[in-house]
Amino acid sequence: MNQQPGKLGIREYVSIAILMVGSKATEDTPTVLFINVQNAAWMIPVLSAGIFFIPLLLLLKTISLYQGKNLFFVIQKLLGKYIGFIVCLVIFIITLVGISLDSRLYTNIIRAFYFRTTPILVLYALLMAVCAYGAKKGIQHIGSVAYLLIIYAITGLFFALGLSTQASNVNAILPIWGPGKIEILKKSSQSLSLFTDFFLLTMLIPYLSSSKDFRKGTWIAYIYVSIQISVATLFFICMLDQSLGGVGYPFHTAVRYISLGSYIPNIEILFFIVWIVSAFIRFTAFLYINALMFGHLFKIKDFEFLIPSLAAIYLLIGNIPESQIDVGLKLEHMVQAVVGPLFAAISLILWLSALLKGEFKHEKDKNNM
Amino acid sequence: MKKTKTICRILLLLVIVFSLTGCWDREELEDRSYVIGLGLDRSPYKGKIKVTMLLANPEVGSMQGGGGSTEKPREIISFDASDFIVAKVTANAIISRLISYDLLKIIVVSEELAKDPNFFHIIYGAVYDKEIRMNAYLAVSEEMASEYFLKNRPKMETRPHKYFQYMIEHGIENGLIPDSTLLRFFKTKESGTDLFLAMNTSAVRKKNPKFKGENEYYAGQVDATGEMDDTQFIGSAVFRNGVMIGKLTGQETSIVNTLDDTTNINDFLLNIPNPFPGKQKSFAARVMKRENNKVKMNLKGPGPKIFITLPLKFEIMSNPSMVDFSKKKNQEIIKKEIARHFKIEHEKMLRKVQREFKGAPFPLSYNARKYFGTIQEYKKFNWNKSYLNADIYVKADVEIVDYGRVTKKAGN
Repeated sequence: MNQQPGKLGIREYVSIAILMVGSKATEDTPTVLFINVQNAAWMIPVLSAGIFFIPLLLLLKTISLYQGKNLFFVIQKLLGKYIGFIVCLVIFIITLVGISLDSRLYTNIIRAFYFRTTPILVLYALLMAVCAYGAKKGIQHIGSVAYLLIIYAITGLFFALGLSTQASNVNAILPIWGPGKIEILKKSSQSLSLFTDFFLLTMLIPYLSSSKDFRKGTWIAYIYVSIQISVATLFFICMLDQSLGGVGYPFHTAVRYISLGSYIPNIEILFFIVWIVSAFIRFTAFLYINALMFGHLFKIKDFEFLIPSLAAIYLLIGNIPESQIDVGLKLEHMVQAVVGPLFAAISLILWLSALLKGEFKHEKDKNNM
Repeated sequence: MKKTKTICRILLLLVIVFSLTGCWDREELEDRSYVIGLGLDRSPYKGKIKVTMLLANPEVGSMQGGGGSTEKPREIISFDASDFIVAKVTANAIISRLISYDLLKIIVVSEELAKDPNFFHIIYGAVYDKEIRMNAYLAVSEEMASEYFLKNRPKMETRPHKYFQYMIEHGIENGLIPDSTLLRFFKTKESGTDLFLAMNTSAVRKKNPKFKGENEYYAGQVDATGEMDDTQFIGSAVFRNGVMIGKLTGQETSIVNTLDDTTNINDFLLNIPNPFPGKQKSFAARVMKRENNKVKMNLKGPGPKIFITLPLKFEIMSNPSMVDFSKKKNQEIIKKEIARHFKIEHEKMLRKVQREFKGAPFPLSYNARKYFGTIQEYKKFNWNKSYLNADIYVKADVEIVDYGRVTKKAGN
């Protein structure tokens, strides 16, 4: 593949990041948050963002020492050849499993609400095929599609949320502290996995036009996404109140409820189209990043050729669990419980080792010279 | 070389287009039968329910002008089944098309089944079924639901989905029936603090119903004669914890609807006692609710106090005593009378429901939540128990926006 390694602008990068992380508002995340802290669930995304801010800041700082180099390069550079390799491998495997389960979750949503009789395998294979095709096109294509789509995805989501106020009661968010302030803080620190995708996004640094764009874009997307998930959860709480704990996918339940007056009663399909296309982008980007990791780990230059086989691996892993209950409640929970603290710890370790090695000093000296 | 590549691409596109039909989930309108109304009754067999389906014929009324089919607009079947989900399949023994709940508008439950302690477990299937939308309405009929759908023969609006849509929509706007969507039903049951009102309907007119004051009817009691359908939507059935425990009249329901901020009441007409001398004992007014109510509570102490202020706008629609409303004094009199009337009626209704049904008929407990910091404190307060001892004060903020066309006394 003789593609020119294209560069991403800040707007493409921000679009990818928002589509990747922001779509958490439209799957089962609000339900999981609600089960944890009831009606204070809307605070969790913002608070977790606040907690994850520190590791992310340190990570970005460390990475900025190495202009234009990605996360795996930095890990191997700082932690040495062997330990670095193992850490990278762990990150790769965890994301592989995480994304497999995530894509299975999306397939389940599609099947539950829209294609009820199609076999899971067919839907799943189609989803993966589309994503593999997109990922093979390269990151700049993903970026442009994401940029084209982002405005529809955001307006679609907020339009649906706005319409859901037909049936909502603001008082549902009270008592304001839910199960208590300490409980909220505790659960926030356990929900770091909401934002771990930003950790993975650092793999894309070499593809950005400048590292300043990367840092700026990351913060814009980070702040926006935490607010988006929080606001979406807030609206779902107002609409569904206690039933939110029992409704698996509040976004899809909501779009099936709302209507545009009595003449256009059932409008879920409008939202479904936007949602499914943004899901494609989400997994396409994940697939690309994962292939990038694999390529870096095993020194494969033309890693784009790995994408179809990686997609097949996703498909195989995602097919192991028998039903949605296994995916949503057990396995995903496990992966998420590991992923958040682990990635935060890796960021801290990287920063510490850079500090101990005196890399920051070198940088300063270089600047002074 | 380039040509083959283009052709290959076009072929690939064509293959992708074929997948758009969805293969397994291909749905042909021809091939589907949409259930608009679902009736649930108690069955003579143990552990079963009697399911009634009202199926709409999508062909009727879909064509403008000539060419429409002469088929009947609806089909009704009733049979015993374990639940209404598997009943879809059983129904296919009789109905030629595939049965779908996708466009389900109304679930009618007979009073007998609604009062069954097991009712919630039966209706809970609606949450699990992925076709049923949470904006379907729950209604309670006095007679068997199977009988209800058979007796229900609208003269003008023969297409059932339109009939129910209009009937319910306008009933809610006028405040005579509650906005009883499944979403609200399950939400109220889950929170477990308030009562839920389902609309009351009946297709059997009572023999010699007594005349009562304005809208103080239960469904089936409105004594109307003429050439019409006997179905009536008025009043509501009260549910506590998912089981029916009683009924409210049309007027009580409309009072609840003015108190409830989450419902979609628009404006409605009302008779109010006439404070001026004259033979006519009441005058007509249009009540408009444009703002949310203000609810204040004092939850300290053994008996909580609840203050509800209703900001309502009125339009005087009749003036039987021919009063000159340009005089400030008369305006004051009528305002006072309206405020007094609303206070009495609302408090009477709330006390009755509090005494008889042991709860608030609308999500009043939500307004109490802001007085607590955490869920534990709120749970400890125990709304259900405390509410029984609560004193409720209702105040109407009367604003008269229009005194009618004629302000001066005739002849003056």
